Amino acid sequence: MLQTAFNGLVTGIIVTLPALAVTLLFGVLKFPNFAVGSMMTLAAYLVFALNVQLGWPLVISTAVVAVAFGGLLIAIDYVTFKPLRERGSITLMVASLGLGFVLENIARLAYGNTARSFAIELARPFRFLDIRMNREQMITIVVSTLAMLAMYFLLTRMPIGRAMRAVADNPALALVRGIESPRIIRWTWFIAGMLLAVGGVLIGMDRALEPPMGSSYLVAVFAAAILGGLGSPLGAFIGALVIGIVSELATLVIPPNYRIGIPLCVIALILIFRPQGLFGQPYIRK
Amino acid sequence: MISFLILISTVVCFSAILALALNFQWGLGGMVNFGMAGLYALGTYSCALLMLKGGANTFFATLGAMAIVAAACGVIALVTLRVTEEDYFAIVTLGVGEMLRLVALNEDWLTKGALGLTGIPRPLGDVIAPEYYQYFLLGLSVALLAGTVWFLNVIARSPFGRIMRALREDDVVAATLGKHVLWARVRIFAIGGAIIGLAGSLHGFYYQYIDPTQFSNIVIAYAFMAVIAGGRGAHQGVIWGAAVVMVLLEGSRFMKDLIPVLDSDQLAAIRIIIIGIGLILLLVFRPQGFMREYRLQVNFK
Repeated sequence: MLQTAFNGLVTGIIVTLPALAVTLLFGVLKFPNFAVGSMMTLAAYLVFALNVQLGWPLVISTAVVAVAFGGLLIAIDYVTFKPLRERGSITLMVASLGLGFVLENIARLAYGNTARSFAIELARPFRFLDIRMNREQMITIVVSTLAMLAMYFLLTRMPIGRAMRAVADNPALALVRGIESPRIIRWTWFIAGMLLAVGGVLIGMDRALEPPMGSSYLVAVFAAAILGGLGSPLGAFIGALVIGIVSELATLVIPPNYRIGIPLCVIALILIFRPQGLFGQPYIRK
Repeated sequence: MISFLILISTVVCFSAILALALNFQWGLGGMVNFGMAGLYALGTYSCALLMLKGGANTFFATLGAMAIVAAACGVIALVTLRVTEEDYFAIVTLGVGEMLRLVALNEDWLTKGALGLTGIPRPLGDVIAPEYYQYFLLGLSVALLAGTVWFLNVIARSPFGRIMRALREDDVVAATLGKHVLWARVRIFAIGGAIIGLAGSLHGFYYQYIDPTQFSNIVIAYAFMAVIAGGRGAHQGVIWGAAVVMVLLEGSRFMKDLIPVLDSDQLAAIRIIIIGIGLILLLVFRPQGFMREYRLQVNFK
């Protein structure tokens, strides 16, 4: 029971980074991006290329890919989403779906369907208060916590983070105050790219690298972001932990194959009983 | 060659029916459906299982599949009870689609999981000689496609069709005018679902063998491409869109002869990349499609 809860906590922590990316992207661009799963896959394979094929240490490969991937997403945004910006969220969602197919299959084209893993040496699991935790889980906890603290600092203390929140909150007002939204959008993609790259590596460490690895987390990521209130960074963090623990504990009663059903039920319940999520603002129409 | 043309025409017919279902839900009713793949699988599996396990004949199995998918879609539409935001609805449909595919993959006792179901009976399969059967199936598919278009045209021009377009353009205005938005949405989604069930049944009759890999998310991309290329709301346009998409898709199988160095996984990946890029290009350069929605016109003399 305690072990299951701990595993769920780790699953939830893995989901925090992509959920935060989703919520930032939604806040600034106002559409749910279905390509985030495939973006994580592609980033994880890029890290794989540096780590295994070139033999770089995993930490350095991840850092290099995270920065490069942030830049890549700015470029992708420039050719796909920028021309569609004014066309409403459905058009953007369909475009993100298409983009997801492209990115996932670039990874498949290069590395095929076989599962692969990073070059990290195996270590003996570590025991603490009857809970068994392996080294990958500890790395996940440490890395995600650091990334979360960095994001918190960025969003509350740094001008660019405050500007991002301003644009997310009210684009017109932000514009009046002299915040240029194109610049903020570029920064948002860059930060989301870094979060997704690290998230992809953590997923790849937890399981294995295969083309559908990122998209299999898509529903959980969106459930976390909706539970926390789309657009609320703190909400995404707590939402992810709740989703992780609940869906892992649920495997005690339902078959593990249907773990994805739990986030889905959470989404449905939230939409019916508290549409703005736990930490979101109620949305008033017209 | 003739036989290949007949087979591809049959594929075009049931893909066009599927695209028409999306066009009805999204193009006319403004309710986007990212769960197409899972719902399509639900239709195909329901029809096959009603025949294999339930002992129904092909006609009642098809009707049953239509009813099951329609009911599932109606329930999904109820989620919009509180939230009318299309973003959330899109995420819900995506999740439900994934879930349905997982059920097909994991419930071995019912769907035989990854092995798939074989020996699906066909309409009049034991009456018509096998060498003529493909002609019959093509005729049946064309007839059902024509029937679907006729039915959808009737709805699009009826008062309910006007409510649908009003909801698509602005649901607040429609609600202000006294229209019951939730009930209309449930009906729109359920009717679309019935059509998905029909397309799914034909899929089963055509392949006679179904497994979960036939219903990957790429089905959603085909349907959206067909609807966007054809023009949202334009029924005839959507059929042309589906025809072009499926011919390009099936035609791209011949790429193997042109580029022999690639293995089949890589070719499949390239085809999906091309589809994804095509979808984005279409949205950027031709979002209004190539044909227009039907509009009531009056000729003044």
